[in-house]
Amino acid sequence: MFKFKRKTILVSVMSVLMSAALLGCSEKETTTTAKEAAQQTEQTEKSVTLSWPRDIGTMNPHVYNPSQLIAQSMIFEPLISYKEGGELAPHLAESWSISEDGKEYTFKLRPNVKFSDGTPFNAAIVKKNFDAVMKNSKSHSWLGVINALDKTEAVDELTFKMTLKEPYYPALQDLSLVRPVRFLGEAGFPEDGDTSKGVKESVGTGPWMLTDYKKDEYAVFTRNPNYWGESPKIEKVTVKIIPDPETRVMAFEKGELDLIYGEGVISMDSFNQLKESGKYTTDLSQPVGTRSMLLNSSNEKLADQRVRLALHHGFNKQAMVEGITLGLEEKADNILSKNFPYTNIDVEPIEYNVEKATAYLEEAGWKLPAGKTVREKDGQPLELELIYDKTDPIQKAMAETAQAEWAAIGVKLNITGLELTVQIQKRRAGEFDVDFWTNYGAPYDPHSFINVVAEKGWGVSEAHTNLPMKQELDQQVSEALTSTDETKRQELYGSILKTLQEQSAIVPVSYIKKTVVYHDKVTNFIFPANRDEHPFYGIDTSN
Amino acid sequence: MVSYIAKRILAIIPIVLFATLIMFLLIRMSPVDPAEAYLTAARIHPTEEILAEKRKEFGLDQPLIIQYAQTVIKISRLDFGKSYLTNEPVWDEVTARLPATIQLAVSSILVSILISIPLGFLSAVYKNSLIDTFSRLLSFFGASIPQFWLGYLLIFFFSVKLDLFPVEGRGSWQHLVLPTFTLSLALIAIYTRLLRASVLEEMQESYVLYARTRGIKERVIMVKHVLKIAISPVITGLGMNMGKLLTGTIIVEQVFSWPGFGRYFVDAIFNRDLPVIQCYVFLAACLFIVCNLIVDLVQLYMNPRISWKGRTDH
Repeated sequence: MFKFKRKTILVSVMSVLMSAALLGCSEKETTTTAKEAAQQTEQTEKSVTLSWPRDIGTMNPHVYNPSQLIAQSMIFEPLISYKEGGELAPHLAESWSISEDGKEYTFKLRPNVKFSDGTPFNAAIVKKNFDAVMKNSKSHSWLGVINALDKTEAVDELTFKMTLKEPYYPALQDLSLVRPVRFLGEAGFPEDGDTSKGVKESVGTGPWMLTDYKKDEYAVFTRNPNYWGESPKIEKVTVKIIPDPETRVMAFEKGELDLIYGEGVISMDSFNQLKESGKYTTDLSQPVGTRSMLLNSSNEKLADQRVRLALHHGFNKQAMVEGITLGLEEKADNILSKNFPYTNIDVEPIEYNVEKATAYLEEAGWKLPAGKTVREKDGQPLELELIYDKTDPIQKAMAETAQAEWAAIGVKLNITGLELTVQIQKRRAGEFDVDFWTNYGAPYDPHSFINVVAEKGWGVSEAHTNLPMKQELDQQVSEALTSTDETKRQELYGSILKTLQEQSAIVPVSYIKKTVVYHDKVTNFIFPANRDEHPFYGIDTSN
Repeated sequence: MVSYIAKRILAIIPIVLFATLIMFLLIRMSPVDPAEAYLTAARIHPTEEILAEKRKEFGLDQPLIIQYAQTVIKISRLDFGKSYLTNEPVWDEVTARLPATIQLAVSSILVSILISIPLGFLSAVYKNSLIDTFSRLLSFFGASIPQFWLGYLLIFFFSVKLDLFPVEGRGSWQHLVLPTFTLSLALIAIYTRLLRASVLEEMQESYVLYARTRGIKERVIMVKHVLKIAISPVITGLGMNMGKLLTGTIIVEQVFSWPGFGRYFVDAIFNRDLPVIQCYVFLAACLFIVCNLIVDLVQLYMNPRISWKGRTDH
C-alpha cells in the first residue's frame, strides 16, 4: 500500500511536469504555423525586419516610458516636422503664422487628411489632443511649449490656434517632437478624454498601423491605407524584441533581421566586425548629441577657470575616441555639434596640450611638491571625484583614461561607478566634481540645452554656478528663448556658446552617432533628422 | 505525518514574513527614493511638488512600521501595486510572463533528469570506463562554462552556422531547444556527479554485499537497491534547483529573447521599478520555501531510513 502510494505520487509529479512542458509547446504550436504562413507571404511582399531592445509599449501618443519613440513616430504625426539642419517643414499643418508679439500661433491644417480608421483630421481633434495633454500638464512640464501654453482654439474646420502666456520661440520645434504633441484619432480616446491612463485604440494619421503585436516578442506594422502622403515603398515593418546585443548580431547574420539600427544597439566591436566582413552595408549618422564632462564650478578647486582649462587641455580626445569608441564616435571640439540650428559658429577648439595644461595649473598656484605626484595648494592636494554610470562601458573606459591622463599633469582623479538613477540624482543635486553628460539632440537642441544651462535642477546649471558671468549668461538664455528676432537669437546663441566654451565647465569629448547595418536587400536607407523618428520614410527593398 | 506536514506548512508564514521584512528594509536602505525612481522611469522631471505628491500617493510619508504593515497586508492580497514603468498591476504582468519561464524551467529540469540519472549511474557502475570519462568531461564543462557564453556558442553553431534552430524568440519546440540545453547543462553537471558519488558510496554498503551473497542478480541490486537510495541527494538538489531555476532563467531569457519574467525583472532593476523588484523577491522567497518543503516530503517517502516519527519528535 505504502509502496503504491510512493510510486503514484512520483508518477503524478513527473506527469504534471511533463504535461506542463508539453502544454507550453502545444499551446504555441498553432501560433507557429500562423507565423510560418506569415513568413511565407513575406517572401512575396516588400518587408523589413529589425530588432529593438525593448517592447514597443502602449501606442499612445501622449505618454512616455515604456512606449518606444520609434514606434510612436510610425503611427502618430506632428503638425510640423524637423528636417536636416533644423529646418521646420509643414506636416499636418500646411502653413502657420505667428503674431508679432510672438504669442499667437495660427496653423492652417492640411486638408483631406484621414486617420487610419477613415475619420477626418481637423482642428477639433487637434484641440481635443491638446486638451488631453494639458489635462496632465504636470507630467509634461519639462517641455517648454507646454509650460508656455495658455489656451488652444479650433477656429474653423482647418484652422487651429494656440496662444502662449509669453513668447517662446522654440514652440514650433517642440511641436515636432514625437511625444506628447502628436495626434490620436477620436476612436482612441477613453470616455473621460484622459489619455494618460490609456487609449482605446492606436489610431493615428501616420503611414503605418500596428496590425500584429505580442508583448515582449514582436510588433508588426503595415501600411495605413488612408495615408494622406506618399505611401511607403515597403508594405510591412516587423520589429522583433531582442534585448541582448550579441543575440541581435547573430540574428542579423543568420538573416532573421534585415537591419540593426539605433544608438548603442550593438557593441562597437560587433559593428566593426560586421563592417569589415564586407558582406553588409554599414553607416554612421550625423552627430545626434555630444558626450561631455561636466566640471562642477561649485567645487572650490574647479571654480578656477585655469584649473578647468588645464583639465580640458590635459587629455587626448582623439585617442580616447579612437581607442574607446573604435572611431564610431567623433572627437568633439564644440559643446554642440554644428548640425543644429544656430550652432554653426566658430569657436576656438581647446586642443590636447600637456604643457599648456601644466602651465595653467602652475599659474593657478597648484604646485607639484618634490617627490610627490599630486599637485598641492595651501597644503591641499588637487584631488577630484568623477562619477559615471557603472553599466555604461564607454563611460567607464573614458573615466579610467581621464584618470590616467590627468594623473600625468598632477591631478588625482578618483572614479566612482554609480547606478544610473543615483548618478542622475547626484547630478541634479549638484553633488559631483566631474560627471558625464549628454545633450538632448534634435529637435530638442539647442534650446533645451541653453534652458538647462540656466535652469537649476538638471546639473548643468549647477556646473556653471561659480562662473563670474553666470547672471549675464542666464539673462542671455532667457532672452534667446523669448526673442522673436531671428538675428538677435543667432547673436545670443553665438555669445552663449562662446562663453561656455571659454569657461570649460562643460568639456565636449565626442559626438555620438547612430549606427545602422543592413543586408543588401535594403535600399534607400536614410537616417532621420529628428533623433527620435523612425527611419522608414524612403526605405525600400530590392526583392 | 500529518502533524509534521502541518507544522512545516505553518512554519512558512514566519519565514515569508521575515523575507518580506528583509526585502522591505533593503529597498528602503537603497539610496534611491522610490518617488524619484518612479518619476525617472516615467521621464518626468522631479520637481519638489511632484515628489511630495508621489511620496504621499505611495505612502512614503508614513512611519516605516506602518509602511511595512501596509506592504504585508497588500502582499497577502497579492497586490504588489503598479509597475512604475508600465503603469500596469505587477501581479498581472508577472503572471502573464510566468508560463514562459515555467515552461523553460520545467523542460530544463526534465532534460537534466533524463540525461544525468542514466549518465551518473552508468559512470559509477562502469567506473573509469569511457562513459565515466565522458561524464566527467561533460560535468567539468557544464560546471565551468558561464551560461551566457554557452548560449552564444549554441546560437552561433546551431542557429547561425547550421541553421537548425531559430536564434531567438518563443513559439515552437525548436525555440525551446537551445535555451533548455543552456539551462540544463549546469544541472546535468551537478546531478551526474552527485549521483555518481552517491552510487559509489552505496555500493560499499554491507547490504549490497549481503544481496550479492544471496545470489541476487547484479542488475537487480544496482537498480532496485542501490539506485533507489543513491538518488536521494539528487532529489534534494532538484528541489533546491527548481526555485533557483525559476529565478535564475534571467540570463538565458536575456540571451534567447525568451519573453519570461526573468527578463521583465532585468528591466525592472535597470529602471528601479520597485514594485516589480518587491514582487520578484517575494516570489523567489516563496518558491525556495515551497520547493524545500516538497523535497523534504519526497525524501521521506523515498528513503525509509528517515522516519516521520524521528522528525516529529525533534
